[in-house]
Amino acid sequence: MSRNASPRLTACLLICAASWVGGGAARAADYEVVIHHAELEETGIKPKVGDTITFINHAEISHNLYLTYEDGRMETLDTQIPNSTKKAVLHTAGRVVIRCWIHPIIRLEMTVADAS
Amino acid sequence: MENGVVRRRRRLTASLLLVAAVSLAATAGSLARIAGVETGGLAGSPAIELLKARFRRPDAVPFPKANPHSPGKEDLGRTLFFDPRLSRSGSVSCASCHNPSLGWSDGLARAVGFEMKPLARRTPPIMNLAWGSAFQWDGRAESLEHQARMPLTAPDEMNMTMEMVIERLVAIPGYRALFAQAFERPDAITAESVTAALATYQRTLVSGRAPFDRWVAGEESALGPDAKRGFALFTGKARCASCHSTWRLTDDSFHDIGLTGDDPGRGTFAPPSVVTMQRAFKTPSLRDLRLQGPYMHDGSVRTLDDVIEHYVKGGAKRPSLSPEMRPIALSADERHDLIAFLSSLKAEPIRVELPQLP
Repeated sequence: MSRNASPRLTACLLICAASWVGGGAARAADYEVVIHHAELEETGIKPKVGDTITFINHAEISHNLYLTYEDGRMETLDTQIPNSTKKAVLHTAGRVVIRCWIHPIIRLEMTVADAS
Repeated sequence: MENGVVRRRRRLTASLLLVAAVSLAATAGSLARIAGVETGGLAGSPAIELLKARFRRPDAVPFPKANPHSPGKEDLGRTLFFDPRLSRSGSVSCASCHNPSLGWSDGLARAVGFEMKPLARRTPPIMNLAWGSAFQWDGRAESLEHQARMPLTAPDEMNMTMEMVIERLVAIPGYRALFAQAFERPDAITAESVTAALATYQRTLVSGRAPFDRWVAGEESALGPDAKRGFALFTGKARCASCHSTWRLTDDSFHDIGLTGDDPGRGTFAPPSVVTMQRAFKTPSLRDLRLQGPYMHDGSVRTLDDVIEHYVKGGAKRPSLSPEMRPIALSADERHDLIAFLSSLKAEPIRVELPQLP
């Protein structure tokens, strides 16, 4: 159901304050990607193997994201209801495509660098 | 790897953009209330204009770079679409099931296939697919070009191979010139050019301007009060627009809406762990609905009243049931208003020029 704008603004500010863990190249970093109605926020992030992406569902509908690595391996996250988060640890270098089983229009591509 | 300062700056920029986007994109329900759609007040206010914008028709039809439009390709695609020789029996064309006189479907609860075999699913209308992101009820085709091959080669449908299709077309005097004109090269009769032409023709099938479109464009009198109240319900309390969004009134999303039947739908192509895709089917567009039904992927619901009743009850409770399916109470007046809104999405049928087959 619909919500007022103010909780959304609060959530946005929380995202502004989202943390980045680690300063060295070898340390794992955490990234956050927000899901809007049927769209993954384009972040321009350049993660590396071992980094974690947290998907935050700010939509009013549920999603079910999955990651497809360059070698064809697929990692499916569970159904993600509104205002919930799901995490994925990136385990293989190369191109990764993130899509949603429920909403095929959702698509985000990124390149994962080697951990080193 | 970028450094922390750059990252923080990017996060801040992204956050500011996000704040701006959120303030613009307050939810449909609250917008409806803010705009006073229920009471007919505040017509033309910024809030209602923002809500309307989410349903505004696009100005042009998108064609992919890999298969751009040309008049010759469209003409060829139309000719192929209506040609029954593309089926093994020589008696069934694409238009046999996607009949323009029946809203580009067949009016049947379930399609009839090769040798009159009844199929499991209803024939989906094919309007406005140029904007589609997944095709077929289960989404197994990612493009119209990919989709076009499927009914031609499905044993239960037209029951051809693409080799047989090409063989037949090559043997028909007249097609060689049509293909050469469409693709500007000799010997253009190939499987790829057949599907490219069919996809191009399908992309030109676009709904006409409905009363709802005229209202969205600013013609306040184009909708009656009941249809306006129906729109408020549709985008607010009834939550229809959670899936039936965009100008096409669908976001091409897949859901198990709790119908009876054991067709796995998109579950055939998703890992078993993706429970919500079991018995999930594509959200159909609501434009140009045949108001006499039938409805749903399996044609199991006969009337719009029954469709609304299904959503009021919320569908069969099971693990795969879409999280968007929640029972809701709607009065008789509210049901009437929803149907009035759905009726406002119906435009005059587009004019179809039947081809003279070579």
